[in-house]
Amino acid sequence: MNPADRKEELIRRIAVALRGRDGANPAPASKASREGTSGEADRIARFREMFESQGGNYLAGPSLEPMLPALGEALRISGVAELFFPPDDAGARLVAETLVPFGPFTLVSLDEVRRPSAPPSAGIQTAEFAIAETGTIVQTGREGKTLLPGLLADVHVVLLSPAVFVDRMEECLAALSGDLPRNISFITGPSRTGDIEQTIVIGAHGPKKSIAVLLP
Amino acid sequence: MEPLSRFFHRRSEKALADTALQAAISRATGKFLGARADAVAAFPGFEAARDEGSRIRRETLDRLDFHLARFIAEAERRGAVVHVARDGAEACEIAARVAKEEGVALAVKSKSMLAEEIGLNEALKSAGVDVVEADLGEYIVQLAGEPPSHILAPAVHMARERVARLFEEKLGEPYTDRIPELVGIARRRLREKFLTAGMGITGANFLCADTGSVVLVTNEGNGRMGTILPRVHLVVAGIEKVIPGLADLPVLLRLLTRSATGQPISTYVSVLTGVKRPEDPEGPERLHVILVDNGRTGILQGKYRDILKCIRCGACLNVCPVYQSVGGHAYGWVYSGPMGSVLTPLLAGLAEGAPLANASTLCGACAEVCPVKIPLPEFLLELRADEREQGLKDPAEVFGMKGYAAVMGRAGILEALERFIGVISQVLFKEGKAPWLPFRFSAWTDRRDFPAPSPQPFRKLWKKQRGIRP
Repeated sequence: MNPADRKEELIRRIAVALRGRDGANPAPASKASREGTSGEADRIARFREMFESQGGNYLAGPSLEPMLPALGEALRISGVAELFFPPDDAGARLVAETLVPFGPFTLVSLDEVRRPSAPPSAGIQTAEFAIAETGTIVQTGREGKTLLPGLLADVHVVLLSPAVFVDRMEECLAALSGDLPRNISFITGPSRTGDIEQTIVIGAHGPKKSIAVLLP
Repeated sequence: MEPLSRFFHRRSEKALADTALQAAISRATGKFLGARADAVAAFPGFEAARDEGSRIRRETLDRLDFHLARFIAEAERRGAVVHVARDGAEACEIAARVAKEEGVALAVKSKSMLAEEIGLNEALKSAGVDVVEADLGEYIVQLAGEPPSHILAPAVHMARERVARLFEEKLGEPYTDRIPELVGIARRRLREKFLTAGMGITGANFLCADTGSVVLVTNEGNGRMGTILPRVHLVVAGIEKVIPGLADLPVLLRLLTRSATGQPISTYVSVLTGVKRPEDPEGPERLHVILVDNGRTGILQGKYRDILKCIRCGACLNVCPVYQSVGGHAYGWVYSGPMGSVLTPLLAGLAEGAPLANASTLCGACAEVCPVKIPLPEFLLELRADEREQGLKDPAEVFGMKGYAAVMGRAGILEALERFIGVISQVLFKEGKAPWLPFRFSAWTDRRDFPAPSPQPFRKLWKKQRGIRP
């Protein structure tokens, strides 16, 4: 049987299982639900509460400069030696470059962080969405964006602006559904595992620390 | 994996005698239950979400042919290669062929119950593919050569000292029983595998029909690693994993993660659609999806359709007094706890799985926590009826139950029998305790005393207590 026939055969088998031999197949009606939305300040406050409750570190200030010492300190105590950012992310580039003297840190390329023996790094990236309901950061592969900062780095630094906050995952999916990216990653706090004696340990495979920086 | 569920009694006796196992299971299920209860209490919309989730899952199953055909078309339109497998052997064959055609020697795999069900690792190993489990718990049980014992926490039965010795023996790492250090060892070892593997193998938490997307939920990040770094992504998923659309995903995630670990959302949720596009800097160039039937259309056809609503959260395992006592391995196959006790007889055959359906007091705790409202106790009872109808019950049990029914339907006979037993037991048993009962009933007294039958019949005691004159 060729592959197309096999698929048809499976679908037919299911139809027969459901409705017997003559199973007609009308398309089901679709249903969408909407819930009320809240104001920007409220969304940011709820995001912060949820993000921190799941182990995230949250920084906010009137501008980048006053936050740099704290951010540099947070990276240093995590043993970070290298910084990287998506080449097309101007905001992340600016943060990375101004952070260098606070380490000191070395700026490295995406290829360099893919080495198996790469030293501890921080991946800096501008978030596409931030979901208030769960304190979730959303990164996608839209328009050639890289996902490596939230994947390979020891510390994931996410830059947020007030415009990226949404109430719920529904809004985010609706906004992305037009031209669905290959990868939509919902990231909530640092990587964790409870697989040994159900003891939660931070930093299983992904970042050991997740820092959200809200810039005005 | 060869089912051994018919030996449930023997296996559970072994588990009950293992005090370390008892402690581990009790600690794990207690933590999961506590976290779930807190998460549900903190989310006022939980009951409404259960109704909605249950409706979505049921309506999907009622129209599975439509949704699955749509998933296949949408996934293929976006560059995936979709395969269908009638059974586990066929699925393994396809997976081995894919690995060979794609030139894969090393694969990293994220936790998948279906892969255990069909014996995927063994099949790929025979085909010359080195498969490394990347979920920490799965990595540990793979090193130990054991099957997983819990949906969410595969190594739930192992203490840290055992993991430490395992890492020392199998990986040559210096002994440490500090859990963060053990996690660090696995992180380092597996990072290297992620960066060099040719293929990532995953299951799917959900398959979205309207977009052809594969949805993966993990806390460790192994699911993301294996689907961004390797050149090939292979998905093995049961046909029941489909949901109508992306719009249905949020409510199911709210239910899944709260029911599983008590989190409002898991650390990582990936929605993966198609293959790497020309502008993408990373992602798999090839995506293969194997949709596995392996008995599921048979379940769809019959009265147990709702068991296919299951989203594998593990809440029914944690809350089940039987699972809490014997753990996952005693069930003898891939699926344990109440959902396993229903699914095993349906997938592996009633003769194989019936002991699981019988090993329940039908307390109903599983139905209370099930996020998609599967009537698990009713199904367990129904399976026992099927067992009787198919002539699989022990003739002595059938005879005994017939006799029981005959006596219980006739008050006079019941009372006469009670008087008779009452007289005998006064001779045989002292202090109101029956430390032994004759064969066939002796299982009740193997580990505890049975209350000795009352010398007076129940109805007489009842009347006396109510002050009714005889």
